[in-house]
Amino acid sequence: MRAALSGAALLGAFAISLVAVLTFTRPPINIVATGNPGTGMQLNYVPKQVAAALAINQVPAALPPIDAGPPASTVYKNVQVLGNVSSGAFTRLMVSMTNWVAPQQGCNYCHVAGNFADDSKYTKVIARRMLQMTIAVNTKYTNHVGNVGVTCYTCHRGAPMPSQIWFTGATPGSGAGLLETSMGKNLPALAINNSSLPSDPFTPFLLNHENIRDQGTTALPSGNTQSIKQTDWTYALMMHYSQALGVNCAFCHNSQAFSDWSESTPQRLTAFYAEAMLRDLNTNYMVPLTSTFPAGQRGPMGDVAKINCATCHQGVYKPLFGAAMAAQFPPLLGVGASATAAVTPIAMPSVMPNSSIPTTDSTKP
Amino acid sequence: MAMLTFEKKYRVPGGTLLGGDLFDYWVGPFYVGFFGVTAAFFSILGTALIIYGASQGTTWNIWQINIVPPDVSYGLGFAPLAKGGLWQVITICALGAFVSWALREVEISRKLGIGLHVPFAFSFAIFAYFSLEVIRPILMGAWGVAFPYGIMSHLDWVSNTGYQYLNFEYNPAHMIAVTLFFTTTFALALHGSLVLSALNPAQGEDVKTAEHEDTFFRDFIGYSIGTLGIHRLGLFLALAAVFFSAVCIIISGPFWTAGWPEWWSWWLNMPIWSGAH
Amino acid sequence: MTEYQNIFTRVQIRGPLHAGPPVSGSIFQREGKPFYSYLMGIIGNAQVGPLYLGSLGVASLISGFIAIEIIGLNMWASVGWNPILFIRDLPWLALEPPAPANGLRIPPLNQGGWWLMAGFFLTAAMVLWFFRMYRRARQLGLGTHMAWAWGAAIWLYFVLGFLRPLLMGSWGEAPPFGIFPHLDWTVSFSLRYGNLYYDPFHMLSIVFLYGSVLLFAMHAATILAVSRFGGEKEVEQSVDRGTASERAALFWRWTMGFNATMESIHRWAWWFAVLTPLTGGIGILLTGTVTDNWFLWAVKHGVAPHYAPIYSHAVDPATLQGGKP
Repeated sequence: MRAALSGAALLGAFAISLVAVLTFTRPPINIVATGNPGTGMQLNYVPKQVAAALAINQVPAALPPIDAGPPASTVYKNVQVLGNVSSGAFTRLMVSMTNWVAPQQGCNYCHVAGNFADDSKYTKVIARRMLQMTIAVNTKYTNHVGNVGVTCYTCHRGAPMPSQIWFTGATPGSGAGLLETSMGKNLPALAINNSSLPSDPFTPFLLNHENIRDQGTTALPSGNTQSIKQTDWTYALMMHYSQALGVNCAFCHNSQAFSDWSESTPQRLTAFYAEAMLRDLNTNYMVPLTSTFPAGQRGPMGDVAKINCATCHQGVYKPLFGAAMAAQFPPLLGVGASATAAVTPIAMPSVMPNSSIPTTDSTKP
Repeated sequence: MAMLTFEKKYRVPGGTLLGGDLFDYWVGPFYVGFFGVTAAFFSILGTALIIYGASQGTTWNIWQINIVPPDVSYGLGFAPLAKGGLWQVITICALGAFVSWALREVEISRKLGIGLHVPFAFSFAIFAYFSLEVIRPILMGAWGVAFPYGIMSHLDWVSNTGYQYLNFEYNPAHMIAVTLFFTTTFALALHGSLVLSALNPAQGEDVKTAEHEDTFFRDFIGYSIGTLGIHRLGLFLALAAVFFSAVCIIISGPFWTAGWPEWWSWWLNMPIWSGAH
Repeated sequence: MTEYQNIFTRVQIRGPLHAGPPVSGSIFQREGKPFYSYLMGIIGNAQVGPLYLGSLGVASLISGFIAIEIIGLNMWASVGWNPILFIRDLPWLALEPPAPANGLRIPPLNQGGWWLMAGFFLTAAMVLWFFRMYRRARQLGLGTHMAWAWGAAIWLYFVLGFLRPLLMGSWGEAPPFGIFPHLDWTVSFSLRYGNLYYDPFHMLSIVFLYGSVLLFAMHAATILAVSRFGGEKEVEQSVDRGTASERAALFWRWTMGFNATMESIHRWAWWFAVLTPLTGGIGILLTGTVTDNWFLWAVKHGVAPHYAPIYSHAVDPATLQGGKP
């Protein structure tokens, strides 16, 4: 009895110390204060992890700049977006795009060998739309991307499909059967820091335009009907913001009063503008491409891959630590791009099954 | 002389740790002793500094008075008085007063010929405070991560420090600590109730005995820990609650910087689950 | 310096087991044959059992069992009845209350109906347990203090799961049954209503919670310290003060100028413990019903501290011209 007891205690102690040693990090810690002393507003980083993030968020070497030759539309056929770009800069961007998106597959990933003007490969149709999207981000949303901008590499990182994308989950409360149906939460949610919060706050907030703001704006009740469950969804979205940027709540907020803009940091403003941008990109660029993607690249509900903060940021507060990569590719900043092509979404069949928002959680009597 | 009827015979010299007979006397109901003098010194100085700090602040509103630690840019160095230096001196005073108090409890225990359980228990509270204001700041390399002295401002610190880890309630040690806090309170209610119910039975009944208490609890849950055991259990629960509170904050920052929900990924990724899919 | 501090029992004795006085007026008798446990004997009484269930106890356990089954089986169903995933994901799983759109209507079973049912049976179990405590105390001639303390816990549960949702007009306001999910709920609750730390009744509840732990540490340590004089015989010491009581009282009198008595310390204990859920329940009940943002409430009443702005004054971009996306 007594021997068994001490044996069990020893085993338990061993297991606990194993978990303690293997699952935790170690000092030193780097601190970035984001608020007044003593408020607890700070970001904490492990230098080793920062070094690792720096190492994998390096900008690839850019090809030597070329800006010579007649406009691309006069040299090549079927140039719809970059027609006014010099053929030198055009070719340089095409080669760069290959390096950023399909380095293994090469030109033929998008182009039909021998006939580069041919649009019969779906990848080329998508690539053209993504080019327009990149230009739109860099021209329309400088309130979010500043003068850093984005390139294909910001999201793709050398892969045809960006690693950080999202698909719409099953509509909460839509299940049949006698036992509890999924309410879109209460399972480990990878994009929500592994919490049990709603796993898809993206559909209501970054595709549809549900109200993100929950907190009361007056001391006493004055008609704010946002529920605690709706707050779960907002909390999940904010958890994703933090995780996607490798920051915590204090990057933008003083938790004393989360909703109070006068207590928030300037970063909150930047994040605010991203919400409109992401809705635009998902609605006007990704969703219309739904039927263009082969079924195998769509989500379990048949929807197209979509964009959230992690798609570009990939765990870093500024994508690629704020390297001004886009500046090296003027066409991506809209120089020489045809203006209409940059802003007007091309007509595509808008097929988006289950695009409805989780109404069970967004309405309240 | 504020003395209880039975008190005089207990007021005997001896039992001191330091100072011999020099401070071995009482002031009113209070025992003094060497550590009473140091406790008074540190607490009066510390309180005076808090009042001075308040006078240098923007408000005398008791809820809003706030004496802040140095900015994190000072690291582990000394800061000017107005920029956190005051906080540093007050922290030294607080620790001086707490330790003096514990040692004074040791002297009183010795004088009364009783066990040292109370100062031992109090040392856990000091440890928790020491963890928050000294151990964790040292591990993180800045006094600025410690909590400020203010009624509402320390709550804001708790709030913001919690949200540094996205959801602090996923902190495993915090879970254990909160569970122990609730359990201790639950056990205290049970113990207090049981003793009161034995001492205050129904109208016209005699005061009941420990045998009744034992029978009640055996009927109730199948086990009665007994009059001695409940105090061992209560002390253990209370001290464990404090200990795990200290652990939960020491690991937050020095040993974990991401969101606490993310910490559980080791559990989700254990190889033993591989048969699930 | 090294002394025996009586933190565990060094020599365990084995006398006759106590069966307790016969139970009258019930078809049930005490269950189980009492036995000695060495492990239990280290810190407390070595005797384990017997147990008296009685009709109320049986009814309470059945209700509790039904509630646990409803919760557990729904959780298991949520991972497709996969036993490995059930264990792996158990801390994440939950039985969720109905969506707010349901209001106070009885929802379909799979959309919160099970939650309502589990809540009913859990409440029934707790209330039956209250009556069981009450009746047990009375049958043994004891006071009913414990039943009423339990009532305070029922109050908090009742406010969270029934009373506040009722006043808010939506079952969806109540917390889910689940380990991590109910923690998420508490944070969302605080986020929605503007920082619960500024709720004065939450402050009181925390004070009583910490106070209870402090009191138990002080009391238990004191009793153990005077256990060499028989201090653990609290009932005897209360009615006939001995040297243990005197030394315990003097310890605190000399330390902090004030002392409780052997009986009154248990009144302090009872009230601190009971006021924890009592004030906590009030704090929850007021949230959303009479206040909507505790921080703004605190600003209004001059409680919230101000921090010097360190960034250029930011305004809500949604209020700016063209800022609304």
